[in-house]
Amino acid sequence: MTNIFERLISEPLEGFLERFIQFLPNLISAILLLLIGLFAGWLTKKTSYRLLMVLKVDEFSERHGINNILLKGGVKESLSSVIGRFAGWLVFFIFVIISLSSLNVPAIERLLERFFLYLPNLFVAVIILLIGYLLSNFFGRAALIASVNAGLKASGLIGRFVKLTIFLLAATMALEQLGIGRETIIIAFAIVFGGIVLALSIAFGLGGRDMAKEYLEKKVKGEEKKDEISHI
Amino acid sequence: MNSILERKEIREKLEDIKEADILVGIPSYNNARTIGHVVRAVQAGFAKYFPDRKCVLVNSDGGSTDGTMDAVQNATIEDFQAILLHHRVRPAFKITTPYHGIPGKGSAFRTIFEIADALNVKACAVVDSDLRSITPEWIELLIKPVIEGGFDYVAPLYHRHKYDGTITNSIVYPLTRALYGKRIRQPIGGDFGFSGNLAKFYLTKDVWETDVARYGIDIWMTTTAIANNFKVCQSFLGAKIHDPKDPGTDLSAMLYQVVGATFDLMETYSSVWKNIKGSEPVITCGFQYAVGLEPVNVNVDRMIDRFRLGVKELMAIWKEFLPDSIIHFLNKAVELSKEEFYIPDETWVEIIYSFALAYYRKVVNKEHLLKSLTPLYIGRTASFVLETWESDAEEVEEKIENLCIAFENKKGWLIDKWQEV
Repeated sequence: MTNIFERLISEPLEGFLERFIQFLPNLISAILLLLIGLFAGWLTKKTSYRLLMVLKVDEFSERHGINNILLKGGVKESLSSVIGRFAGWLVFFIFVIISLSSLNVPAIERLLERFFLYLPNLFVAVIILLIGYLLSNFFGRAALIASVNAGLKASGLIGRFVKLTIFLLAATMALEQLGIGRETIIIAFAIVFGGIVLALSIAFGLGGRDMAKEYLEKKVKGEEKKDEISHI
Repeated sequence: MNSILERKEIREKLEDIKEADILVGIPSYNNARTIGHVVRAVQAGFAKYFPDRKCVLVNSDGGSTDGTMDAVQNATIEDFQAILLHHRVRPAFKITTPYHGIPGKGSAFRTIFEIADALNVKACAVVDSDLRSITPEWIELLIKPVIEGGFDYVAPLYHRHKYDGTITNSIVYPLTRALYGKRIRQPIGGDFGFSGNLAKFYLTKDVWETDVARYGIDIWMTTTAIANNFKVCQSFLGAKIHDPKDPGTDLSAMLYQVVGATFDLMETYSSVWKNIKGSEPVITCGFQYAVGLEPVNVNVDRMIDRFRLGVKELMAIWKEFLPDSIIHFLNKAVELSKEEFYIPDETWVEIIYSFALAYYRKVVNKEHLLKSLTPLYIGRTASFVLETWESDAEEVEEKIENLCIAFENKKGWLIDKWQEV
């Protein structure tokens, strides 16, 4: 009976305890690293924020319209605060990775390895999205201004269409980079984009027939009274 | 190649001429149709008013493909007796050369300045190659104030139709006058006289790889002369009639170039204009007379429609830098009927100064910012047309004078805001 108890309960418990005691220093060092990471992250956040304030980064971002971009993206904090916060979280994240690898658990190590291999894709995808967002705003506004100056009534629609198309393209590229539903996304984008073009062609062909006729008549017959103002 | 003087044929030509007293430059690009008349007018001007001076005509061409340079070479006055009592004593030289550098009027002018510098000329003038109304007297009026009056810069003064040159009348003239304190009526006229010393000074400026080389040269020359305390005057040249411009020329691109160049110079010379209060007239040479001008068609309804469309669609951009009072005014103005439509001088001044401040602060991309000014400019022009429909030239000039005073009165506000940046 005693032998059975030892084999079933006592030995596994002892084994677990032994392994736990062996693992304990790793766990303690991981917790310690995590705590140090928390402090280092907080310190980095505060220091980089102060440094950026001294370097007048907020004034620079105000002048170059970066604050507006942040506001449009729903970020109400200043650029130096955003960068400070990001730097803090980055330092903390690095400590989390170090702390996890200090546990020496093969399963966690394998997960970390896979995560690190995937990280560049994530980074590239974020960059693509960011550039896509900036470009979509820029070209959307350029299209809006150009069509207003050309006197097109649908200027707002044109501006939004250009903006959305560029951002959709960037989002498709980002998702493709992440390897999420690669073929599906490309096909979906092609269908949506092709559909919009087809819809516009039909709309112009049928709906705009009279308008096109009127426009051509005006052009050919020269009915429209033109300005002869010389601006310069 | 950094300088036109490195070109062998130009060097040989300059060695042949050695020195000259007067140089007249004509920048050109595909102006074969009109440049012959301009060249003949310049040659007649040399013969009639400067018979005992060594004169040089320089055509600085931007790579014309319509035979402009041949037209210059072949343009001669067959019979000087028809216009003169005496033949000129000294022959006039002619240099025709493609310019170097970035394509644009500024690069063409740089070539002219370099040749003027190499020949050590006393006085220079530049005239547009598409002029139809140029006469030999223009050469006298642009050159004599330099040679005999000791002036360094001679701006043109023309009689123009009341709706001709609206960017000049509503933005460039009032703004330049308020900033630099000199009442130069046509700061971007295109036909100028200047001393050899000023040509040398222009060459020392490091602007030949910038937008000045492309399109901003006229306002740059005028502003540089005033801001650096050169002695300036203006000469009355009569009417300015030139070849019709390409109707496809985009108004917003025109605004971007002209207003952008003016705003860039505000940044360069901010230390100068901040200390200037009010304005003073400059000496005007030449005998002023009335000229008949062709009527101009204006479609005010379409202009007001463009203004309304702009307010509807571009308000989000303007809200980033226009004062709340202006935003409020614009929202009200779109509801006005054609008969009530009016943009007061004070409002227009505040709009232009706010755009200048936004340009300086880089609130929005510069091209987007200036092109977004187009509907407001069209609205202001429509308001001006409605206000002056029945007015004669004198009354219109009075209105422009009132606008200039509004620009001068509001300058303190601009200085305060500029210093906040």
